[in-house]
Amino acid sequence: MMANIESQASSILLECHKITKSYSGVVVLREVDFSLKHAEIHALVGENGAGKSTLIKVITGVTPRDSGTIVFDGHDLPVDHTKAAALNLGIGVIYQELSLIPGLTVAQNIFLTREPLLPGIGLINYKKMNADAQALIDKYKFPLKATSPIESLSIAHRQLVEILKALSGNAKLIIMDEPTSTLTSSETTLLFEIIRQLKASGVTVVYISHRMEEVYALSDRVTVLRDGKLVTVLEKEQISPAEIIRLMIGRTLTADETKRAMSRKNGKPVLEVKGLTSVGRFYEISFSLAKGEILGIAGLVGSGRTEVVRAIFGIDPFNTGEVLLNGKPYKPSVSRAIASGFGLVPEDRRQQGIMAIIPMTKNIGVTNLDTISKVSWVSGRKEMALCHLGIDLLKIRPKNPDINVGNLSGGNQQKVVVGKWLVRNLKVLIIDEPTAGIDIGAKDELYETIQRLAREGVSVICVSSDLPELTRLVDRIIVLREGRIVKEFAEGHVTEEDVLKASSGILEGGNHDN
Amino acid sequence: MTIKAFLAQFRLLFIVLALGAVLAMIYPRFLTASNLMNVLWSVCVIAIMCTGAIYTPITGGIDLSVGSVAAIASIVVNHLMNVMGMPMWPSLLITLVIGTVIGLVNGVVVAKFKVTGFIVTMAAKTYLFGLAMLISNGAMIGIYEPKAFLFIGTGRVLGIPVPVYIMLVITVLSHFLLKNTVFGRQVIAVGANDVTAKLSGVDPDRTRMIAYSISSFTATLAGIILASLTQQAYAVAAQGYEFNVIIALVVGGTSLLGGSGSVFGALLGAILVGFIDNGLNLMNVPSAYHPIVTGLVILGALILNTGVERPKWLKLPARPTKIVTRVEPHPGD
Repeated sequence: MMANIESQASSILLECHKITKSYSGVVVLREVDFSLKHAEIHALVGENGAGKSTLIKVITGVTPRDSGTIVFDGHDLPVDHTKAAALNLGIGVIYQELSLIPGLTVAQNIFLTREPLLPGIGLINYKKMNADAQALIDKYKFPLKATSPIESLSIAHRQLVEILKALSGNAKLIIMDEPTSTLTSSETTLLFEIIRQLKASGVTVVYISHRMEEVYALSDRVTVLRDGKLVTVLEKEQISPAEIIRLMIGRTLTADETKRAMSRKNGKPVLEVKGLTSVGRFYEISFSLAKGEILGIAGLVGSGRTEVVRAIFGIDPFNTGEVLLNGKPYKPSVSRAIASGFGLVPEDRRQQGIMAIIPMTKNIGVTNLDTISKVSWVSGRKEMALCHLGIDLLKIRPKNPDINVGNLSGGNQQKVVVGKWLVRNLKVLIIDEPTAGIDIGAKDELYETIQRLAREGVSVICVSSDLPELTRLVDRIIVLREGRIVKEFAEGHVTEEDVLKASSGILEGGNHDN
Repeated sequence: MTIKAFLAQFRLLFIVLALGAVLAMIYPRFLTASNLMNVLWSVCVIAIMCTGAIYTPITGGIDLSVGSVAAIASIVVNHLMNVMGMPMWPSLLITLVIGTVIGLVNGVVVAKFKVTGFIVTMAAKTYLFGLAMLISNGAMIGIYEPKAFLFIGTGRVLGIPVPVYIMLVITVLSHFLLKNTVFGRQVIAVGANDVTAKLSGVDPDRTRMIAYSISSFTATLAGIILASLTQQAYAVAAQGYEFNVIIALVVGGTSLLGGSGSVFGALLGAILVGFIDNGLNLMNVPSAYHPIVTGLVILGALILNTGVERPKWLKLPARPTKIVTRVEPHPGD
């Protein structure tokens, strides 16, 4: 192994050896080796929770590692190296959430905190800054202008500015975390060209993506992580989308949790959606939901899954199509939805689900003001009783109704968000990413709760990017891709592999689609 | 109410009583019935403003126009009665309606055009002041008629000034509106997290519009009482009162970041500010020093309030773009 490394020393840019990292006792990276060559496009793939982001955070100095060595371009990086140190050495990262400042121009963003100054007086030399920025833009032939304000640019062009920002600091390595998740297909094509251009100019690009066709189209090598461990590194000639997916999922597909017979629930549909279209978000979405059925909606980020359920709950408008509730036409609006027995557990708990600074009683009370008040007079006693009911139904801990919800653990916060609907006379529960960011124990309890609800006759729509969650929990899965339903798994057995293939556009038998 | 909030309220009561005790020990004149009446009288106008002004900060906004609204109310009510010759009761009613509509306009701009309350009500404060100057020709107008009107501010029943009764009644009403009604819950929810509130069936726009309307309604009422009390209609009469109101609210435990507030706390806050002012008067401190002391008090109260209540840095910055609704989570990563 060591001999091998030495023989290739000249072509190696980054060498991570036995990286281990754990968060509060949970190991998320276990002795992971990861190496990058000069001027290669390297894909890093794995399921949610495989450890991709943690590995990136360790390399870029955002999080200190527990053990292991990192050598970048001949420099040993200490265990607690900082973000700034990594940046200085030439490691640039482009996160999903762009870090540009909207009020400033392209040039101002590129040179932020490194502005060229007029000699002597310490004022910014705008002429030089704009010229330098334009020279950099022209060098890579990006379709940008140095003086354009950031807010006038599309997401794709903003990403290009991020890339330039990294390049202006002489980045040798640029890490892109799901760069295409918010791009259109033509923008994606542009980004691919630019990535190849970066490679041609000697920059190494690490590319994290859930879209197998992209990984297939771009990468020179692929590193596959699973459950915090390195599975394998695939060389160019070994890369095939089906193979990567098989390696990512990895387990033998026998257990009930990964392979499950789908069973279409028969009976009168509670909710029917026909040809729902919201231009730019989703198109021709049709499905029906039976009483007591759990319907899963799968798809990658940006596939339109969240947008569909938001439209059904009445948050966002749609252009065409209709929704039927118990066979009768129904015009979605949030207040009508709640009055008709819908509940929504939104995807972003902190921003949309909880009210962190007020007590649990009021969090649960707010969706139930109709039942706890008479002629607009709220009964504090009834509100408290509802809160206790929620605590008992979902085993919320601590059992203190007066605690501000922001002080609860993530899992218990999510239970409050579910609980404020559960204490109602619920008919349809829409639950978006039910277990994002919560621990295993709370996950299992939530699964049990959802299944119990379904047995009691509540229909559930579960949107999730967690494939084991879907295959374990739901009766039926529809898969969205680029705003359209591309596949439905309704009968027989389905595996995570099948769902992932459909989501990323590899349909039927692992053939590469488009 | 949480135990903490409960204790906080009583802590404030204790502080008010302690300050009163100290003042009484140093200046025996403080405890005399006439001096206490004076304090109560001066506190009334601010306290009445607080009962309505409390709703905007709880929704996460603010109303800086209450002083100008009170001033224009004093001028309008006098104009209706003494220039246009209208009887008192219709004049009061019309003035209250006009004042409430001003608040509704503020609320509509805040809710529908997504302009922050600070700017909207700052603009309102300015144009209302101009309007007040215009109607009154910038003059200080004495109000001598009708006698029934003057009774509102200067009259006494059982030895206690009429404004004190009005203050107590409206404080109790506002307390129950905030603590025990659907609207009160909605105000708190909107201030705590308006996205969550919306997804839970609350209409944040409607809630905000009503909050600003109520704020303006009580400011109008306070303006009417002020006019009767001082027997004047004057455009600069209530200038700067908005800051006294904010001091009283914040000292009384209302978070300027939204989500919590106490009407009785605000009343205690107003009394505390009144005590400080009265104490400075008794001490013969030159009036130039009063704003300095009051300013330092608001600063201290703000530090205590924001530092403990809700660390703003815990909130994630808003996404600059629309539509993009989620970012792939990496649980466990």
